[in-house]
Amino acid sequence: MKRLIALGSAILLFAIVAAWWTNSRQPKPIVLIPTLTGKPEYCLTCHSGLREISPSHPIKTFGCVICHGGEALALDKNLAHSTLRGGANPSDLSVVQENCGGSNCHSGTAADNNDHIQRVMKSVQSTYAGAIANILYTFGVEPDLTARFGIHAVTDDVITTTTGVPALQVFDPTKQTNPSVLKFAANCLNCHINAQPLPGSQFDRLTGCAACHTPLPNLGEGQGVRGQIHELTTAIPYTQCNTCHNRGNYDLRTMSFIQRTDQPTTRLQDYYQPIAQFTKCEYTLDCIDCHTRAEAMGDGDIHSSMKDIQYIQCQTCHGTPTQLPQTKTLTNPNDIAFRLAQLNPVVDLKLGDTILVTSKGEPLWNTRVLPDGTYQLVGKATGQVFTFRPVIGSGCTQNGLDQSSAYCHTCHSVQR
Amino acid sequence: MSDLSRRDFLKLTTTTLLTISGALGVGALFRFLDYQTEPPAKTEFDLGPAANYPIGSRSLVPDVPAFLIHSQNGFSALSLVCTHLGCTVEQKGGEFACPCHGSLYNADGKVLRGPAQKPLRALRVEVNSNGNLILHTD
Repeated sequence: MKRLIALGSAILLFAIVAAWWTNSRQPKPIVLIPTLTGKPEYCLTCHSGLREISPSHPIKTFGCVICHGGEALALDKNLAHSTLRGGANPSDLSVVQENCGGSNCHSGTAADNNDHIQRVMKSVQSTYAGAIANILYTFGVEPDLTARFGIHAVTDDVITTTTGVPALQVFDPTKQTNPSVLKFAANCLNCHINAQPLPGSQFDRLTGCAACHTPLPNLGEGQGVRGQIHELTTAIPYTQCNTCHNRGNYDLRTMSFIQRTDQPTTRLQDYYQPIAQFTKCEYTLDCIDCHTRAEAMGDGDIHSSMKDIQYIQCQTCHGTPTQLPQTKTLTNPNDIAFRLAQLNPVVDLKLGDTILVTSKGEPLWNTRVLPDGTYQLVGKATGQVFTFRPVIGSGCTQNGLDQSSAYCHTCHSVQR
Repeated sequence: MSDLSRRDFLKLTTTTLLTISGALGVGALFRFLDYQTEPPAKTEFDLGPAANYPIGSRSLVPDVPAFLIHSQNGFSALSLVCTHLGCTVEQKGGEFACPCHGSLYNADGKVLRGPAQKPLRALRVEVNSNGNLILHTD
């Protein structure tokens, strides 16, 4: 008995010494107590070199764990990372609600303009409903172009537009028999923000919110995987949009993706595919200078096609031969325009400023009506200042009813 | 040394091991029960002599963070923690602006622009027996 006690004591002593020794080898923790949670985190012990992710998410306020998960007090790498949500990308749509959601964050209400997650989950960027509906209709599986299937199932209880649909079921390729639809399912379900990107550095991007809002270091063609930087931004350059767009086309005969084969070296060549028609402003500006948050992230409805949500035309900023573009004078300090300008402060927007607005009332907050009746736009990604005129008085002879971009391109397209 | 029998040696070793591991065990137990990852956040700040803050002064106290006001009515203080998500607001002209999401408060802490809905929190200030200003954040 005594021998057992002695053996037990020796083991205990050894265990205590081993624990002390192990503990003494741990790095001294760097403690962060974020204002928002009030709970200590040791993440900075290893990650102190990371840049602040954005001015809207200062680490002193948010810390790391509220967005990433993980074991806040672990100093062992594997243990600390064992409960991360979404790995290195907490904005992946499979975990975005847990990481970025909340009524004060990104799953609030439409009235407060912070229902980003709800809108994105219903948008064509994540449902891919438009492509699926088109293929199912083209090959006779469905009777019309109304979307019934998406990458994920989603419902919409409050439809606010004429093109909104109430629900999508999950598109399940195993229930399809048409060979072309099966090929589509096998080869073409890559262009949505739930999917991993196609191979090749030109397609490098992340999933979820980060697909658009986390820029990738531009190392150029053939430089391999670009990696990821710890940044969220609303100053999104066209190159970020082009990680999905303008990188090729789907061939409906072979039901496969054909990459563009030219090797652009200038912005003019790179912006659009060689077949595209566009004007000077379309490639000198960045996509987000014209296209709005509702177009990119959805308007809260489920739509059957990109054309149901994409509505900005040349006339949004230039008007028509008979009408000036719509404008709005900012009189409400809580106007969403101020919040958007605050997030990307390329302009100092003030009460009383008159800006352009879209036909749906979205503010083009980076524009301003100048005293001489011309307009100014500041590039959201570049900070470049552009001035431009309305169509009225320009000598444009285009029929006022035919003012979609395709008509404008007839006279104003750029030759490459 | 030669007087120590094998039995006595084992007994002595056993007793020594038991004593050491018992002491360490008790020590470890106390440390475990008493363990705090971090001390609780400070809620009381000594701002030094009240005389350093004359009537009419408006002083930034970055460590809290707070804004101390000495008016004819006495001392008062505003927390500079934004009531939206907890970022530290910055003085901008006579107002306080949140650099994170753009909330704007007037000089009294009232919301001028969201997304914050509630005014900046008023903090308690008192002068202690030494004549020092004590700011409470709890």
